Amino acid sequence: MEDFEYLRHVTIGQYLPGSSLVHRMDPRAKMIILFLMAAAVTVNMSYTANIILLVVSVVYVLAARVSLRYILGGVKPVLPFMILLAAMQLLFYGNQFIGPNLQNVVLWKWWIVNVTTGSVQLVVISILRFLQLLLLASLLTNTTTTTELSHGVERLLRPLARIGVPAHELSLVATIALRFVPILAEQLETVAKAQASRGAELAGGGPLHLVQSARRLAVLIVPLFMDAFRRSEDLILAMEARCYLGGKNRTHLIELRYNGIDYAAIAANLVLAVWLIVYRNRFPF
Amino acid sequence: MQSGLSVRKIVISGVLGAIAILLGATRLGFIPVPFIVGDATIMHVPAIIGGILEGPIVGAIIGTIFGVFSFLQVGAPMFKDPLISILPRIPIGVTAFLAYAALKKRNEYLALIVSAIVGTFTNTLLVLGMAVLRGYLTPAVAGAIVLPFGSAEAVLAAIIVVAVVSAWKHLESGHGKSRI
Repeated sequence: MEDFEYLRHVTIGQYLPGSSLVHRMDPRAKMIILFLMAAAVTVNMSYTANIILLVVSVVYVLAARVSLRYILGGVKPVLPFMILLAAMQLLFYGNQFIGPNLQNVVLWKWWIVNVTTGSVQLVVISILRFLQLLLLASLLTNTTTTTELSHGVERLLRPLARIGVPAHELSLVATIALRFVPILAEQLETVAKAQASRGAELAGGGPLHLVQSARRLAVLIVPLFMDAFRRSEDLILAMEARCYLGGKNRTHLIELRYNGIDYAAIAANLVLAVWLIVYRNRFPF
Repeated sequence: MQSGLSVRKIVISGVLGAIAILLGATRLGFIPVPFIVGDATIMHVPAIIGGILEGPIVGAIIGTIFGVFSFLQVGAPMFKDPLISILPRIPIGVTAFLAYAALKKRNEYLALIVSAIVGTFTNTLLVLGMAVLRGYLTPAVAGAIVLPFGSAEAVLAAIIVVAVVSAWKHLESGHGKSRI
């Protein structure tokens, strides 16, 4: 029966209740920090900067008392793909990549295989970046409830409402999306069981059978979409019947407030991110 | 009426966004493809369908949800770069909408198929292009996988888009569903 439990292996986006400092922080502060750190990670290619960022990310996870093993457990299903990609980068990427302040030294050359210090650096940095962003992004979703997240998104987008970005509506879209994932997962399970009981082949089939895979997928996906549309129509009707109006004059049950720790954390991360971004090409190695 | 999006657009964006998340989270949206590194994906199909049914804004929003999710999800290292995982997903629904709108009058089915193909290649080309620009793939590798990847995904997307949209439109007219 476990073939039908579709949401069993999902670790990201799971809220893990807790009372740590990170759990209690304002969701806006956490999102701003994720954004700053992601910007710093995206532009830095040196070993030094990436090790600093990795240490910082691990410290944040430890501060939130979220288990590192839990977060890293989610990597398992994509591990083979990651290893293959890393191997390709290592073997064939020798010429094009030169890190900041680095001479590209050839380590091993044979036929089209060309391993250089540059390609080694590329692989190591890719893995470090992946770990940093995995930790930071998981941390946000593991310590913040979906309600807090959607309030946070709305408040962060509010200044953009002046230039015509529908902040409230977008946060409602995000809330609906997150709310519907478990509903649709349950529906998917029902559809899968119904199709299996009719003798439909849901698993198996190799990578060589594209049309078969498509057909197998269609018996699940098409009913899923139909159900989703039907539910949408119901929700639209319900909201319009209640004269739903979003926007400026709507008030909230929970008002978000920054406190001292939020300001301190944002300031510290801002300084760190700006420092890493400005000095990204000046790290010795 | 509020200034921004109608209730219909908000709800459809949210629900189709949920399908995109579900396809990724359950790994149902990944199909093993012959001779290719990694799997073909149909996670972009909700963005195409949203663009076809409700217009470019809804398509763009669903694309963004798909992008944010593929950034947050555990995946290949290059998708941990927001410039690769989020930015190229936004136009999927927009180009799909444009293709559909241009061909709708001529033939509904043709329009659906072409818009699925256009939407898919928007995704594939922009993601791989961005990956080359950001230094994750060599132009040679990207060039070698763009066609097999893109066409496998385009075939899958076309099958599903045609099945879903025609089934839904038929349902709508058949039952005479109320519209507000």
